[in-house]
Amino acid sequence: MTRLFDRMANAPWLFLAPALAVYAVFAIWPMIDVTLVSFQRWNGIDPTRDFVGLANYTYIFTQDPVFWTAFRNTLIWTALSLVFPPLAGLLLALALNQPLFGRATLRAVFYLPVIIAPIAVATMWRWMYDPFFGLFAQLLTNLGIGIPDFLGDPDLALYSVFIAYFWQQVGFSMVLFLAGLQSVDASLVEASQIDGAGRWNRFKHVTLPAITPTMTIVLVLSLIQSLKAFDIVYGLTGGGPSQSTQMLALWAFSQSMQVFDFGRGGAISVVLLVITVGVVIPYLRWSQRREEQLK
Amino acid sequence: MTNSHRKTVLGRLLCAATLGAGALGALGTTGAMAQEIDIWTLNFSSEKANNALNAIAQEFEEANPGVDIIWTQRGVDELKTALRVSAGTDSGPDIFFSWAGLGLGGEYVAAGMSQPLDSYYDSYKWDDTLLPTAAAFASSYGDGHKHGVPFTFKGEAVYYNKALFEKAGITEEPTTYDALVAAAQALKDAGIPAFAFGGSVNWHVMRLMDVLLETECGAQTHDALVAMEANWSETPCATEAFAQMQMWGENYFLKPFMGIDQPQSFNLFVAGRAAMMLEGNWLVQQLNEVSDLDNYGLFAFPTGTDRLYGFAEYHYISAGADDPDMAAKFLDYFNSTDVQQRYLGAMTTNSVNADVVYENQLPLETEWNALFAQYDAMFVNGDQGFPASVTAEYFRVINQTATGDMTPQDAADALQSYIDNLG
Repeated sequence: MTRLFDRMANAPWLFLAPALAVYAVFAIWPMIDVTLVSFQRWNGIDPTRDFVGLANYTYIFTQDPVFWTAFRNTLIWTALSLVFPPLAGLLLALALNQPLFGRATLRAVFYLPVIIAPIAVATMWRWMYDPFFGLFAQLLTNLGIGIPDFLGDPDLALYSVFIAYFWQQVGFSMVLFLAGLQSVDASLVEASQIDGAGRWNRFKHVTLPAITPTMTIVLVLSLIQSLKAFDIVYGLTGGGPSQSTQMLALWAFSQSMQVFDFGRGGAISVVLLVITVGVVIPYLRWSQRREEQLK
Repeated sequence: MTNSHRKTVLGRLLCAATLGAGALGALGTTGAMAQEIDIWTLNFSSEKANNALNAIAQEFEEANPGVDIIWTQRGVDELKTALRVSAGTDSGPDIFFSWAGLGLGGEYVAAGMSQPLDSYYDSYKWDDTLLPTAAAFASSYGDGHKHGVPFTFKGEAVYYNKALFEKAGITEEPTTYDALVAAAQALKDAGIPAFAFGGSVNWHVMRLMDVLLETECGAQTHDALVAMEANWSETPCATEAFAQMQMWGENYFLKPFMGIDQPQSFNLFVAGRAAMMLEGNWLVQQLNEVSDLDNYGLFAFPTGTDRLYGFAEYHYISAGADDPDMAAKFLDYFNSTDVQQRYLGAMTTNSVNADVVYENQLPLETEWNALFAQYDAMFVNGDQGFPASVTAEYFRVINQTATGDMTPQDAADALQSYIDNLG
């Protein structure tokens, strides 16, 4: 009986073991390894790695000509990602929550970009942004407007890339908000309508409070996703022109896999890891508390 | 024999037969298993070049039954990354492509990824058949051994559109830097952008900076700057080269140029949107596939030195190659006079084999051969002279200078500061 009890007690660990093993190998170990590499000098092919203490961190914070550009761009990108895709997603969700003709098709159409690989999105937008033969160049020429170098102008390139990212991400926010809108109590909406509340007041006092948890999830996921922004920037500009669209994730990759300075690349990755963990842990605590409250 | 016993015996016989068949099958498979020579190389823009690689591999396989030549082609950055990832593992290639010289190929040699080929140079007498200028890089790695075998030997020069030159009233190919600037101005006055460059791939605009450094600084100082032995901030010709770069970017480039890549700039050049391109001899084949070669002329960028701008590409045999003898045999076949003669022009206009005879060549190929004959020395591209990290900064300051976002002195200072902080 005791043996059976022991077996029962160990059962969850037994079932968890494969997942834990995979997680340890593919998530935990890389995080530990990248942290170790960040204290070393290594070009990726030498058999030996030299321990250099905090030299890589000192370098990226004080001497790297691109790190702070990448840091600033990551902040701008994150701020834009927290405002525009969620806002547009909410508006789309509200519109497509109405009994419209072809509603399901429209939902699918707006969600479609989410399932396209970011690198494919980048290729598509690159064609459209082409200053000589691209869609926008043709449109602007037809309108008699000068053609900006969407991806070649350092002042414009980051925002041009963000538009492509926005196009892809908006469907993601929309679907989450649509799910959240299903939890809005129809009787409350009806009651407020009977009480004479207008469209705005119904939204402000009934719908908005009901979808607040969804909104938090959308914002936190948008935040995490924006910090990871890599492939679409890589595909559209590669961090250029003149490193003006560099982001922390891309600069870490460039340092490691293009410049082959794995130590400095590792240090940038650790900075990004710290920022991400700083966001994720409060989110996990919040969701845990919320689950406990619901219980 | 009972029914059940019969079943058991039959079952055992079936098992034995199955196991036997499996074992025989396995033996058969092992016996017929091809010996693979995995070669990692670049994607080539010219279809003719890709077809030539496959045809040469097929010929070698037919002459050497049981050998399977596998070309794995990647983009430039993807190949570099794949080589890094495979370093120190047994998943790497038997032969890999890289550039010759200390910059790119040198890193792999220094890391022990390349196998010394001295014995193969001796046994196959490669020094007797290869062009000395192309083969010279093999002994340049400082360890006293020969590494790699020349794959191609490439020059870079200015291609121009004859009709656009004529339209601008330019009657002669510029032979001095001042004449080139005057030609660019004449083109601008005629409403024609002088040069097409694709800025999104940093190395394309870099070519102009390389030749400007050679022009402004001369061979010796240019080499000292690239070797990071001379101080960029304190060498006036370096700042002047950046100033010239800015002048070209502001006045004579087809714009916008930073948002397009090299293939796009090529399309624009072919479409007659710009008069010149600074390209390698590999462009002849690409031009021939999409346009009439008679419309184009060629001249070396007038740097005023006696060196041609260009580089060599090598095939290195991996230190971990499964069968280096067979890999060397393939490279010997690849560079043999017969193969190089038959596939002449497929990969580049010229061969690394000194015995190849040039006949029935395209007009631009003849011009290239004249250029190769004219120069005894060469200077290599910046991204092959610098370590990879300095190259990234070199790209950044060139781009910012070309777009007018950085002053020439700031560019020189930034590059020197980066070099000082290399550690």
